[in-house]
Amino acid sequence: MAMMPPSTPGTPTVAVAPQAIIIEPGSTSSIRQRRTGGKILSYALLTFAGLFFAIPLLWTISSSLQTWQELRSYVPHFLPEMPQWNNYIQVFTLVPFARWMLNSLTIVLINIPGTILTATLTAYAFARFNFVGKNVWFVLLLSTMMIPAIVTFIPQYLLFFNLKFIDTYIPLTIGSWLGGSAFMVFLLRQFIMTIPRELDEAAIVDGANPLRILFSVIMPLMKPALITVAILQFLADWNDFFGPFIYINTMLKYTAAVGLRTFQTMALEITDPRDHLLMAGAAIMTIPVLILFAVAQRYFVSGVVMSGLKL
Amino acid sequence: MANATTSLKVVSGRRRMSPAQRRQNLYGYLFLTPWLIGFFGLFIGPGLYSFYLSFTKYDVISAPIFVATRNYVDMFTKDDLFWSSLARTGYYAIVSVPLSVFGSMFLAILLNSKLRGITIFRTLFFMPSLVPLVASVILFKILLNSDFGLVNAGLRGLGIQDPPGWFADSRWSIPSLILVRLWGSLGGTQMIIFLAGLQGIPTELYDAASIDGAGAWQRTRHVTIPLLTPTIFFNTVLGVIGALQTFAAAFIATEGGPNFSTWFFALHIWKQAFDYFNMGYAAALAWFFALVIVALTLVQMRLSRRMVFYMGE
Repeated sequence: MAMMPPSTPGTPTVAVAPQAIIIEPGSTSSIRQRRTGGKILSYALLTFAGLFFAIPLLWTISSSLQTWQELRSYVPHFLPEMPQWNNYIQVFTLVPFARWMLNSLTIVLINIPGTILTATLTAYAFARFNFVGKNVWFVLLLSTMMIPAIVTFIPQYLLFFNLKFIDTYIPLTIGSWLGGSAFMVFLLRQFIMTIPRELDEAAIVDGANPLRILFSVIMPLMKPALITVAILQFLADWNDFFGPFIYINTMLKYTAAVGLRTFQTMALEITDPRDHLLMAGAAIMTIPVLILFAVAQRYFVSGVVMSGLKL
Repeated sequence: MANATTSLKVVSGRRRMSPAQRRQNLYGYLFLTPWLIGFFGLFIGPGLYSFYLSFTKYDVISAPIFVATRNYVDMFTKDDLFWSSLARTGYYAIVSVPLSVFGSMFLAILLNSKLRGITIFRTLFFMPSLVPLVASVILFKILLNSDFGLVNAGLRGLGIQDPPGWFADSRWSIPSLILVRLWGSLGGTQMIIFLAGLQGIPTELYDAASIDGAGAWQRTRHVTIPLLTPTIFFNTVLGVIGALQTFAAAFIATEGGPNFSTWFFALHIWKQAFDYFNMGYAAALAWFFALVIVALTLVQMRLSRRMVFYMGE
């Protein structure tokens, strides 16, 4: 270990050095030079990628505050001449955008408790009980992730059509009360399996039944995983387009996603180009997600990592 | 536990089941009930029903008429959009999946350094993945507008006299969609999964490589990338499944146009089902499509045995 060159502590720097591939371990000056070169290159690449991601975001804000004449000028205005805050008001007065957002939120609020309850129950069964046929059911659960949604979408539509559930939120919410998505069950199962069984056993000695153990021993310890699931459910519902698009017919019952898409082409009292208003709508629709991200940043990341690595 | 002695007597059939095992079955299936209802009611049931429908002609209004394998024969022989939409979907997947997987990996490698301000970059890269799909498609339709769009203004500024028409041009519509998806996904989940994968690589390996005289590029090539192959594999499998099913962005941006240039296979199924109400034919297309996706996934899993390196094996 004493021979270790000074350039290799902690996390590796994986920047691509432009010069010298072969280095003498010990010649500190050449390493330092190499590292500075690498750093500059890293920053250059990071900035380039950063611009690719940032420009459309900044343009959303800037263009949503412009007049349509500005936005349609041949030479683009990077900043609005005079910020048109009125655009944001117009989005709410021309179309029932507030109502659409509220509808999306309603679906989210119905689905989150559903998933938390039923996906946890399913995950608990798979993580803690050795019932007959368990492995078969588990493989079936995972295989549902591979089948394209469109295959079951058509017959599900026919099912809900025959049950007269069209134009209600039932088709959009029933799934989350029946186990949620396979992915979330899997994620929760992985998490429960990390909780020591000794805790269950201690509760059994105290006379607790399995449901009691779930609610008072396991679920309190699952808080990070449950928050992650709630976030994933929020994102799924907030972004869902085809579900509400096909099941909801009444304009006032639209979700924000369907509403924004319809806003592109729907007949309104104004006939001017509405790109600036669409941009304002896109920004408004994104704000709740950004707020959620700011509040619960670490759960976003942990959720992705938990779900991604062990499959 | 109290009624263990009584339950011993209720053993039925040939196989004796211990009271503990009975308990496991009872609670296991009890807690599984909501999911089982959903699995049969929303997945197996509808799946089997659509399999039946795929052998019928059904327009929702009148009862399904059994037509045997005609739908399956027709799709290969009579449907002009069948092969072209399949080819288009393949083109989209072949271009977008490698760009997206290796792009995310590259960004993750860049972010996995101890540079100052790296968290700002990480947050910035991640933010577009939070923008809802509908919002990002609308944003890019405006950005990529052939006359007034910011992108073409920039290209004209760079001296390109005749910039592409993007969504309005049938040669550029798929690249435009790929651009939207790359913007919205390169820095998202995939990149985070790669970052987690990178952090799982033991630093001793880099130390050893450095002692052997490996430079930064060689360390990336011979240490980082081989150890990331499980993550690459995972992201590729999911990426292919996702890319083949793509059509939400195409539907919102162009509804399959211009001139059918974004008419993907999943969109073809959708149009047959919900615009033309050819439910039987759409079900047949969907089943064919499911088989293609499952087969491709299994092939990838086969290939992975030779190409993926798992540590500790």
